[in-house]
Amino acid sequence: MTATYHDPCNYGRKAEKQFGHGFFDEPRWILDQCMEHWVDLHPTKGDQFCCGGGGGAMTTGYHAERIRYGRQKMAQIRATRAEMLVVPCHSCHGQMNSIKAEYDLAGLKVKYLWELVADCLIL
Amino acid sequence: MEIIEMDQLNHGRFETWPFSHNHCLSCGLCSSSCPASGMDEFDPRKLVRMVGLGMAEQVVESRWPWICTMCAKCGHVCPMEIDIPGMVRRIRGLRDREKIPGILRKGLEAALKTGNNLSLPKADFIFILEDVAAEIADEQPEFEGLTVPVDKEGATILTTIHNKLVNTHTNDLKHWWKIFHAAQEDWTVPSDNWEGTNWGLFTGDDDAMRTLTGRIVENMEKLKAKTLLWPE
Repeated sequence: MTATYHDPCNYGRKAEKQFGHGFFDEPRWILDQCMEHWVDLHPTKGDQFCCGGGGGAMTTGYHAERIRYGRQKMAQIRATRAEMLVVPCHSCHGQMNSIKAEYDLAGLKVKYLWELVADCLIL
Repeated sequence: MEIIEMDQLNHGRFETWPFSHNHCLSCGLCSSSCPASGMDEFDPRKLVRMVGLGMAEQVVESRWPWICTMCAKCGHVCPMEIDIPGMVRRIRGLRDREKIPGILRKGLEAALKTGNNLSLPKADFIFILEDVAAEIADEQPEFEGLTVPVDKEGATILTTIHNKLVNTHTNDLKHWWKIFHAAQEDWTVPSDNWEGTNWGLFTGDDDAMRTLTGRIVENMEKLKAKTLLWPE
């Protein structure tokens, strides 16, 4: 299965600006431990597009705008042909699942980063 | 179209704001980078200019600051490093609290009053946690013995909970717990003020944000936890 990874604005670009460190490499290291093969989105890291679910957008009731907002994110994902998208953010996770069918990506599996880790545990 | 006379505007209205909006070169990089540009005739450059002109009513009453997700792509590309997302959040904070869109205000009020956005009583919260923990062992026998340590003193990790995980998405509680179990981690969940989301952030309400964050700090101190896991 091909997977890809989305950098949430708050863990990446915004953390870098506000706290001096963006969490770009840490999740990628985790992905490398869990999967043989995954591909990055383009653009990536600090230049990543927002999914459209941030800043409380899941709660304002502006649904049409939120779906339209996500078009660039969905195009990025489509370009990778990934079947699974890994995210470490509750808002991104909710938004991707909420809009994927609108962009013919209903089959896309959206997975939390820590869910991927839990799936890989062998006890 | 409404015509606004320039000399009728108070250009100094937002002069003291610390976002450097008056340094704008009007290059338009922000607008080109913004996925919300074009919606409702919004674009960040226009917003920056309106703030510079002191058009308070127009920006505060507009849907723009709420359609924007404060993703900071605009600030990332801005050659003058104008803090546009910070400015958007400040504008949100000027909106009459009665007119905040959607469920944001209701959720925030519930959180301030009860410690979580859902007003979920403590007994129900603990019941859900225990129920989900038992489900994990039922589904995967290798996790037998997995328990949720509530209010455990001196744990290495204290974790907050996103309200949707004890509401509509209880299955997503399981992932972290499985990892903790496998790693034999010493962890805990507080029974009060466990809410991980902070809608003071989204509504531009600094006081609310401080109160909610302060409660998490209190939990850390009260339970003498060493590390905070706050994935929200």
